[in-house]
Amino acid sequence: MRLVRPLLFSLLLVLPALAAAETAVPSAASLVKQAIEHWRDVSSYSVFDMTIHRPDWHRTMRMRIWTQGLKNSLVRVISPPKDAGNATLMRNDEMWSFTPKINRVIKIPSSMMHQSWMGSDFSNNDVSRSDDIIDQYDHTLLKTEQVDGHTVYTVQSVPHEDAPVVWGREVLRIRDDFVVLEHDFYDQEGKLVKRMVSSDIREMGGKMIAAVERMGQVDKPGEWTEIRVIEAHYGIDVPPTTFTLSNLRNPRS
Amino acid sequence: MTLRLAWRNLWRNPRRSWLTAAAIAFSATLLIFSITLQLGSYDMMIDNSLRVFSGQLQVQHAGYQDKPRLRSDIPHATALAARIRKATGAAVAVRAQGFALASSRERSYGVMVVGVQPGFEGKVSTIPGTVREGRYLKSNDAPEAVIGQALARNLKLKLGDELTLLGSGRDGSVAANVVKVVGLFDSGTSELDRGFVEIPLGTFQETFGMGDAAHAIVLRGADLAQAEALAGKVRALLPAGEKLTVLNWPQLVPGLQQLIQADKFNGWFIYGALILVVTLSITNTFLMAVLERTREFGILLALGMTPMRIGRLVLLESLLLILVGLAIGIFVGGLLTAWFSYHGFSYPGMDEFAKQFNFPSQVYPQVSALAILLGPSGILLFTMVAALYPALRIRRLQPVEAMNAL
Repeated sequence: MRLVRPLLFSLLLVLPALAAAETAVPSAASLVKQAIEHWRDVSSYSVFDMTIHRPDWHRTMRMRIWTQGLKNSLVRVISPPKDAGNATLMRNDEMWSFTPKINRVIKIPSSMMHQSWMGSDFSNNDVSRSDDIIDQYDHTLLKTEQVDGHTVYTVQSVPHEDAPVVWGREVLRIRDDFVVLEHDFYDQEGKLVKRMVSSDIREMGGKMIAAVERMGQVDKPGEWTEIRVIEAHYGIDVPPTTFTLSNLRNPRS
Repeated sequence: MTLRLAWRNLWRNPRRSWLTAAAIAFSATLLIFSITLQLGSYDMMIDNSLRVFSGQLQVQHAGYQDKPRLRSDIPHATALAARIRKATGAAVAVRAQGFALASSRERSYGVMVVGVQPGFEGKVSTIPGTVREGRYLKSNDAPEAVIGQALARNLKLKLGDELTLLGSGRDGSVAANVVKVVGLFDSGTSELDRGFVEIPLGTFQETFGMGDAAHAIVLRGADLAQAEALAGKVRALLPAGEKLTVLNWPQLVPGLQQLIQADKFNGWFIYGALILVVTLSITNTFLMAVLERTREFGILLALGMTPMRIGRLVLLESLLLILVGLAIGIFVGGLLTAWFSYHGFSYPGMDEFAKQFNFPSQVYPQVSALAILLGPSGILLFTMVAALYPALRIRRLQPVEAMNAL
């Protein structure tokens, strides 16, 4: 008891939401918020491979991504040469695409946000509005379990009536160190449509992250997109000019 | 003997018989004309909607129709199309299709991009003929596009402006191109006018990394009724080993058939009501004819004729009367249908509409045994059931009472 109390006390300071809770189980909303914040961090720079797999073909692109806060990110394709230079800028829920081949910046209209991002199983919304789940959803804790020495929380998140979301609900499995293990997307009829599964959880850039995330269509097992993190740095200085249209068109770094 | 008697009885009151026969003839004519015209309108409706874009038949990669993916393609499509064109003599055009984001300087919309063969597309689709401003595509690999007027308005584009297309190529890489808008069309179908960009096939194949592959070989024969035979010929020309399939129009435009089914049901309801009205008025005549002859039947019964036989006589009289009426009706209705099927029938205002959207301006009633005989058969069936009632009444007659009846 002596040990637990100070720990509890400090937790209460960090998570005001916890104040309402009587036990040490964090609230569902704070779990989701922390998981997203853990994933995004204050800022980050990482390099990753994205593999799009289909029954009859697959291809891998290597990309770099810079992020700042929950709203700003910039993705640039490094290879293969055919795609190199293609870039996507996400800022305040808006999205722009740059294609060197035609040397044009194109704003992605909101009507296209449910479409696939660069041919993958991630939609434009998945990559640009991933923080919507924090403030546009209601969360309930469904289950708490012990897996491999970790507490794993299963949270159901239901979007608000007016949220610009196609999903009926989402279910996340969050580990106690805020690594998201699984993220399920259900449609309005309650049918499981897409599932993202994390694996290869290890320390990178000074914290535990899932190095591999695979998003797949549930009814088509042969179709999935995998993201494999090659290197990651968190809490670094990213110049604010990174997330501008002119930088999207004429990369400075 | 009964037949001769019935025939003679029929003409005991020629005016009434002729009037009844005329009512039957008139309703038969009306039914024949409206049914053949309705079926003809369906033919036109099908033909017109297939004319716009889908064609009568399409060769596609198996599964493309349900799930249009760039990779579900027809290899060496242009060469295959040329072979089909040569062997069948039908109008044949190759298309490649994909989704892309179309952007002007100010706005972006998701659109269907169609790569077409400029020289052949006009033979299978009305779109080239509905270009209102500018011109249709000319060369097979120029960076140019024609788009719907509605899309141009939405994108705030004018003739000569640049349109940026951004999508995914066949190999998953980024597909992008800038094309010049050279023409604006108004096909009359709002989905096409709002969401369609046509570019030359070569430009499409280069932009989306398709090589010499495409997604549809569209066919249009002289007559929709011959489409199945044409499909058979095309099937024989498809290279073995490729997963290619020939789709007919109900597979290409499934909604159309449902629409027609619904409309047909509506039509049958109205025809049913019409037949019922005719039947009721004719029943009245039949009943009168029997009632006023109660004395006569009484005498026949007293002479030893069985009620069965008298019933048969009366039924036969009705049948003869109906047949006379129907014969006249079928003759007149058939003539009317034949005339219009030769010269065409046009609703007021249809001409203008047809010209605007590059459609034929006449409806041709469908001349077929089924279309012509359907209405008259309905009348025959209903009126014969109606004629049973007076005939059955005779069985209740008592000879003495009947003879004394007024």
